[in-house]
Amino acid sequence: MKNTMKSDSKIFSFFKYVALVGILLFLLFPLYWVLITAFKTNMEAYRYPPTFYPRVPVLDSFISLFRENNQFFVYYKNNIIVSSVVALLCCVIAIFSGYSLARFKNQWNKWFFALLLASQMFPVISRMISLYSIMGKLGIINTLGGLSLALLAAQAPFCIILMSSFFAGIPKEIEEAAYVDGAGRWRILFSIVTPLVKSGLVAVGIYAFLMTWDDYLHAATLIQADGKRTLSVGIALRYLGELSYDWSLVNTISIVGTIPVVMLFFFFQKYMIKGLVAGAVKG
Amino acid sequence: MKTKTLSSKKSDTLFSLFLDLPAFLLLAGFIVVPIIDSVVKSFQTFGIKNIITKKPGVWNNFANYLYLFKTDDFFGATVHTFSFVLGVVVVQFILAILLALILNSNIKGARFMRSIMMTPWVVPTVISALIWMWLFQPQYGLLKYLVSVVSFGRISDFAILNNPSTALTGVGIAALWKQIPLMTLLLLAGLQNVPQDISEAAMIDGAGKFRRFFSIILPYLSPVIKVSVSMSIIENFKQFPLFWTMTGGGPNNATTTLAVLSYREAFVGMNLGSGAAVTTLWMLMMIVVIFGYNKLFRVQEM
Repeated sequence: MKNTMKSDSKIFSFFKYVALVGILLFLLFPLYWVLITAFKTNMEAYRYPPTFYPRVPVLDSFISLFRENNQFFVYYKNNIIVSSVVALLCCVIAIFSGYSLARFKNQWNKWFFALLLASQMFPVISRMISLYSIMGKLGIINTLGGLSLALLAAQAPFCIILMSSFFAGIPKEIEEAAYVDGAGRWRILFSIVTPLVKSGLVAVGIYAFLMTWDDYLHAATLIQADGKRTLSVGIALRYLGELSYDWSLVNTISIVGTIPVVMLFFFFQKYMIKGLVAGAVKG
Repeated sequence: MKTKTLSSKKSDTLFSLFLDLPAFLLLAGFIVVPIIDSVVKSFQTFGIKNIITKKPGVWNNFANYLYLFKTDDFFGATVHTFSFVLGVVVVQFILAILLALILNSNIKGARFMRSIMMTPWVVPTVISALIWMWLFQPQYGLLKYLVSVVSFGRISDFAILNNPSTALTGVGIAALWKQIPLMTLLLLAGLQNVPQDISEAAMIDGAGKFRRFFSIILPYLSPVIKVSVSMSIIENFKQFPLFWTMTGGGPNNATTTLAVLSYREAFVGMNLGSGAAVTTLWMLMMIVVIFGYNKLFRVQEM
């Protein structure tokens, strides 16, 4: 009896490792493939059967990206500007409304919370069809400012819910003590409560930055001038020709376009993981 | 101000309304009004001319909807969307819970693996499309090579995205790659809340691994499963950049989903009215699916 159990668990543990290796290979091998392709010459990238490591590692495609195909950096710069602005404003809005949702349980906030949940559901294209003409009339189409506002509205709901779950964890007694000492509402919010939810604020800021960095649809519809395009749309339109793909260059672009967000994520991952779990499970 | 108490109801409400105001204005202006406006536009003839001349659209007796039902495109797009959502969500859930259970067992390096496995989630969607397009590349792609090795050279021209019967699966693989990490992370967090002592007590009582999984772990995990699956349903229902970059809806419309169809109508054909008709029906379907899903889950909850 005991013997069969033991061999059972051996088989089980074998399958466990096979599954683990299989799934991790699926998730991580493509990244390795991108990395090595970027360091291959185009001649080697187009070799079939493919080589599993660069025979002659070269920086050709990186040099070409910086020297000749540097329109990429215009998109890159625009993406950094838009993502930073959205992340900053998102933090401010999330402090305001997140605090309000966590502290004041009134009828209005119930409706407001429902609005936040519902607004994450609607397809972006549906909004864009209308915003395309509305923002055109207001004269803010084809501007980075207009794009940032539309993106801010898209990121705000999740960020507010996330922030409110952090505010909800702060005991109310702290505020009452400060009130007795004569601090006003705004002072309590900004100099007493907000410093206590710094880690939540980091999670909100990084999340908004990552999501904005990822945007494709807002920029594809609201921006027409090439000089104002952001990363995703710029790459898709400029470097993916119907016939001529320069795959070493495309893979280099993939790396350079991903590096900032990967670094941001891993640097702040402690906050991010805690924040994602808190925000998702509450919402 | 100082004479009032902190819990004075009326001033509390005023203060909270004031705090909500910026977010409310933003959501009203960039989400609520545009959604309503796009539903209105779906009943109008509204094209590029109206935008240039700034003339409002004209009511057209459901012409946009009638046009959608006359062609096969809308029906096809609905089928593609639903099969994509169903396929990706089911496979994603199975792989994610498998990975989460493994990482939650006493395994060496679990923390390290948890953190590096998150990388695909951070990679921008368009770039993940590029990564998979390169792996799927019809002449020099890695997958073509692997398939020809595994089939001993019998299938030597495997091009997943160029074949109408496999293209949707190809995009689905890219979607899985990007989405499995987040679901695993959420399920893993849920697993860490399952009380250890109950599981151990069941083990002493002789409950096997599978028994313990279905009668102890799964019930504890159900709130987290509910949330993460519904997030995944919404995300895949809305998926656009992967399709647009990888296949553009082709070959032969095999990957034209509701997202691709509405974008093509509205921003390629510049017929915003009929694009809005697609998104309106799409939203209705999404609402029905999410409500149905929530109902289903509520019945099963204990």
